Amino acid sequence: MPRSLWNGTVAFGAVAVPIKLYSAVEAKTVHFHEVHLEDGARIEHRTFCSKEDEEVPREEVVKGYELSNGRWVIVDKEEIDAAGGSRSRIIDVEHFVPVADIDPVHYAKAYFLGAREEGAAAYRLLHDALERTGRAAIGRFTFHQREYLVAIRAYERVLALHTMRFADELVAPGDLDVPRRARKPDAKEVKMAERLIDALHEPFTPGRLHDEYREAVLAAIEAKAKGEDLEPGPAPDTEPPDDLLAALRASLDDNKKPKARKKAKAKAKAKPKKAKAKA
Amino acid sequence: MPRSLWTGALSFGLVNVPIALFSAARDLDVHFHQLHEPDGARIEVRRFCAKEDAEVPYEEIRHGYELDSGKQVVLTDADLEAVAPRRTRTIEIASFVDAEELDPILFDHPYWLVPTGEAEGPRRAYRLLTDAMEDAGRVALGRFVLRSKEYLVAVRPRDGLLALTTMLFPDEVRPTKDIDAGGRKPAKASLDQAVKLIEALGQDFDPTNYADEHRKRLRKVIKDKQKDRTIEAPEQDDEPEPPQDLMAALKASMKELAKAR
Repeated sequence: MPRSLWNGTVAFGAVAVPIKLYSAVEAKTVHFHEVHLEDGARIEHRTFCSKEDEEVPREEVVKGYELSNGRWVIVDKEEIDAAGGSRSRIIDVEHFVPVADIDPVHYAKAYFLGAREEGAAAYRLLHDALERTGRAAIGRFTFHQREYLVAIRAYERVLALHTMRFADELVAPGDLDVPRRARKPDAKEVKMAERLIDALHEPFTPGRLHDEYREAVLAAIEAKAKGEDLEPGPAPDTEPPDDLLAALRASLDDNKKPKARKKAKAKAKAKPKKAKAKA
Repeated sequence: MPRSLWTGALSFGLVNVPIALFSAARDLDVHFHQLHEPDGARIEVRRFCAKEDAEVPYEEIRHGYELDSGKQVVLTDADLEAVAPRRTRTIEIASFVDAEELDPILFDHPYWLVPTGEAEGPRRAYRLLTDAMEDAGRVALGRFVLRSKEYLVAVRPRDGLLALTTMLFPDEVRPTKDIDAGGRKPAKASLDQAVKLIEALGQDFDPTNYADEHRKRLRKVIKDKQKDRTIEAPEQDDEPEPPQDLMAALKASMKELAKAR
């Protein structure tokens, strides 16, 4: 049984659903720790006072908020926690929205909700009703004294809770320095690109996908442990094509015979000059 | 203007498009700094060698990995770069899928991909890919390595640009089989009633309807503190009890809702 992180109640109308919160993800990154090059010893992080140039015990470290005039307001943990509000055990559902309406940019962190014994029937009812309507419950959730906007939806046989990014936390294209848009591509090019998209279209098969970089890192660690030198692999070809249409056509041909990939690539590189006037 | 986090190439078949990656989320959290209480000076974190008990400059720090045997292997940034140069410099599109097939449980962080350089060719390739994906209504699936972690990524057109979402690998999502999924299948009448209530509380999702209330409260705490006001922790509300009679609770909720409107 996984360990729960939090207990609380999802409330909508007069219905209360007692739940337990579980983490939904387990990153499989290879973790390193910092070591000193010379002697391989561990690196420790020590806190120093920048004024006295002396190490400071943890008890003397406080949290400060910098005001615009350069002055500081010291706030202790209890005071910060006070901003958590009064609903630290209750997720109030404000309304239900179609899951399909929620743009992926809003999803931040995912958790699973499990049923608690005393509310098993209510849990299952909420799950099944959300599944049938394709909707997510939108509410507020306080975790570690911090309030989040959340979406709760049916995922497999349980409920998933997603913390959500607020609209003002999102960066719009207008906030970026985007170069001038190129002119509309020719119909011929669009057609060719769409053919390529079609040719590469396949069902999403999650079971097949895993972190290959992680495996490569573990292999590199093993090689290094045996005293081997790590040779960098060949640098990838990142040159943009001179002739877009020719590159698309070559990609399509290439896709038909996947094993001839390298060859087609070389061909596409050799060809482009021809149609340059057109581009 | 936000700064780009990474530059490289988006590769699609044999077409490479030079791009820069920008975060599509900004951090608006209220941030605190660590201060030394007696003199109010900023705290600095310094790195020390545990053996020599001496401060270590950043250039002398490497990545250590402990093997099961207890033996330690030390890797450099260059070693990590060498592991998969292709993956660290290109976002390679491997296939195109239908957006509905990607479960939101996988979504991690949103980014924008912006074409780099003023040259006409790359910008045209970028525009072509954006337009063609828009027409086809598909999402590109690829992968790349950012800060020593490989991500599965979904690239899709949004507001005339390409939006990228990093995703977890499916095997990084925990299985749900050990989580208590509640009681037996509900009776049809209760399920119908619950669906009715959900539809009655239904709305379109409009993100501008929601503001970060916590951020506001935290700002108020700081302001109060600045004015030397006492900050009181709010009383916590009790959890409501689950209803004895679900059907009655659903019906009562509908009635309340009708009254409120």
